[in-house]
Amino acid sequence: MLVFQCEDSLEGIFTGIYNAYEQKSRPEDTMMSLNEELFLFAEYQTVRPDAEKTLKVIRTLQNRFGEEDYHHICLALSTPEPMKAQAVYQTVSLGLRYSGAVKGHLFDNLANDYVNKAFTLGRTAGNENCHMRGFVRFQELESGILYSKISPKNNLLTFLMEHFADRLPVENFVLHDEGRGLFGVHPAGKQWYLLSGAEVCTEADRFRLSERELHYQELFRYFCHKIAIKDRENLKLQRNMLPLRFREYMVEFNKQLNIG
Amino acid sequence: MEYLATGQEMSLMDKLGILSDAAKYDVACTSSGVDRRGNGQSIGNCLAGGICHSFSSDGRCISLLKILFTNECIYDCKYCLNRCSNDVPRATFTPEEVCTLTMEFYRRNYIEGLFLSSGVIQSPTFTMELLYRTIWLLRNKYRFNGYIHVKAIPGADAELVQRIGFLVDRMSVNLELPTAEGLRNLAPNKHRKNILTPMRQIQNHIKMNKEELVLYRNAPRFVGGGQATQMIVGATPENDYQILNVAESLYDKFELKRVFYSAFVKVNEDKSLPTLPGGPPLLREHRLYQADWLLRFYGFKAAELLDEKRPFFNVMLDPKEDWAVRHLEQFPIEINRAPYETLLRIPGVGVKSAKRIVAARRSGNLTFADLKKIGVVLKRAIYFITCSGRMMYPTKLEEDYIVRNLTSVKDRIQFGSDGMSYKQMSLFDDNSFQRILLPEEKLAVAVGQF
Repeated sequence: MLVFQCEDSLEGIFTGIYNAYEQKSRPEDTMMSLNEELFLFAEYQTVRPDAEKTLKVIRTLQNRFGEEDYHHICLALSTPEPMKAQAVYQTVSLGLRYSGAVKGHLFDNLANDYVNKAFTLGRTAGNENCHMRGFVRFQELESGILYSKISPKNNLLTFLMEHFADRLPVENFVLHDEGRGLFGVHPAGKQWYLLSGAEVCTEADRFRLSERELHYQELFRYFCHKIAIKDRENLKLQRNMLPLRFREYMVEFNKQLNIG
Repeated sequence: MEYLATGQEMSLMDKLGILSDAAKYDVACTSSGVDRRGNGQSIGNCLAGGICHSFSSDGRCISLLKILFTNECIYDCKYCLNRCSNDVPRATFTPEEVCTLTMEFYRRNYIEGLFLSSGVIQSPTFTMELLYRTIWLLRNKYRFNGYIHVKAIPGADAELVQRIGFLVDRMSVNLELPTAEGLRNLAPNKHRKNILTPMRQIQNHIKMNKEELVLYRNAPRFVGGGQATQMIVGATPENDYQILNVAESLYDKFELKRVFYSAFVKVNEDKSLPTLPGGPPLLREHRLYQADWLLRFYGFKAAELLDEKRPFFNVMLDPKEDWAVRHLEQFPIEINRAPYETLLRIPGVGVKSAKRIVAARRSGNLTFADLKKIGVVLKRAIYFITCSGRMMYPTKLEEDYIVRNLTSVKDRIQFGSDGMSYKQMSLFDDNSFQRILLPEEKLAVAVGQF
């Protein structure tokens, strides 16, 4: 058996897939692995991420399976699940073998365990992505920059940056993934980029909010309070729709700030 | 201007409190139906699926900044908090205030857009003009590109309704009550005809606009997200069958995108209003929404779900289960063969799982375990389906038996309680002999590493 040891990133895994195809290795005897765990009698190859190979794989995926399924694969790869590389590789290899030229049918065969796994992972990440799009709360800093802390379970920063860059093109904003120490930075009217590093992290704590920020936070908190109908109160439903883990960063659930 | 004089001393906080409090009984707080990318120069975009930004303590989503422009009203509708005979604090926003609030909330990602309704001040046309001015400012001066939902005020000038339609994503005219008679009793100033006229006008214009868009891709869009309406359930004595029929004809004849139902909440004491000892009729509202989905996505007709002899929904079973147990002659349905439309009729199978079944069975026969993976709710579906000609458990195709099992938790057959098989297992029919081993498994067997 041939085991490709990839780096846990889109680039790493796509390069792994490229190498597997380059060497014409049989998918049944091939594994994409993200960890260092070793098997006896298996042959190992360490995959060095390669931008060119990644682009080629991306192009193939988009052409063969369509934009939507490609997006789903990317979402699946943003999860912390160690099985994801293997599931995506097997799904893609199945798809390339059978799905013909019709787009949008990569995840059809849900009875297959790998396809199912890749599909489920993509769906999980996609759901969280939908949640985060709504639940991100920006705070205006003294300098006028919008700043938001997040800590999603999946690595969704790129997806969120894309969404907010389209939505707020004229704003300077920063998304800070606290758990991963990543920053997405969007300068007004320009292309966004990602930053990582501890120095930025410590600086982030020293940001001060702008004067009117607290006023608008209080307004929104008041609005959320007023819009609820007492006779229909249903906290369980609220918890189902908006799990507690998201609330830490949301101003309307933040009890400490009560100015107004 | 005169109408602003009363609100001048009030703080923005107080106004927001009063006017969101007054708007909370409006449902239809969705932000879906329009896909519009950002334009790179101003704030805002729209996603077809809509985005929920928060959830209030009643579990309803907060997607739009839902406010009234003013809660001054010349009408005296008996069910309404803002009727002119009520002594409640009144407030009116200025167009600028609404715009600033929307923009500041939007850029902090609190909301998906604006939902603007209003009490009727002076006259419907005057009110509509105020709404128009606000929306115009928001779109043109503040260059807001996000979602806007505006209520059309019945009786307002048709020209205004049309002009506002080009600025917003969704418009709705409140039907208020399901029948004309109910409307006469509870809303003496409103007339059925006045409500249906703008609805028809918007419908015609949307149709016309669609044809225009085919010819000229960049023509301005008119109410791109479609038209909606809402009605109050439980304030008047209509039964579910009547309400559902009204909804069906609204979908068929007026091509509405959504009909919303709102369980009547008693906010006023009035002799013509019913008493609600058990609180608002939430279960009834829930059943109506379930049936509404069956009408729109599952190919059901109102007459199939209810009829004059049984005009109310079953309390214990949802409308689809209820339909299924009354039509057992059409079951069981073979999962691997049945067409999509038939799959949709199985309780426990939704639009998504039906689509997935159709896609997945191309590559091979599906088993019950596969169905579970696909997302079929087996605890409801097992009584109605077969996979490759077999039912999952030996169940009886009897109405009483199925109803008992569907309703009581104790008697229900738990999925997987008996290792998911319908027969005694023996060494020789172990399915894993037939299947191709996964690479991990082969290796694990070869080297003894498990």
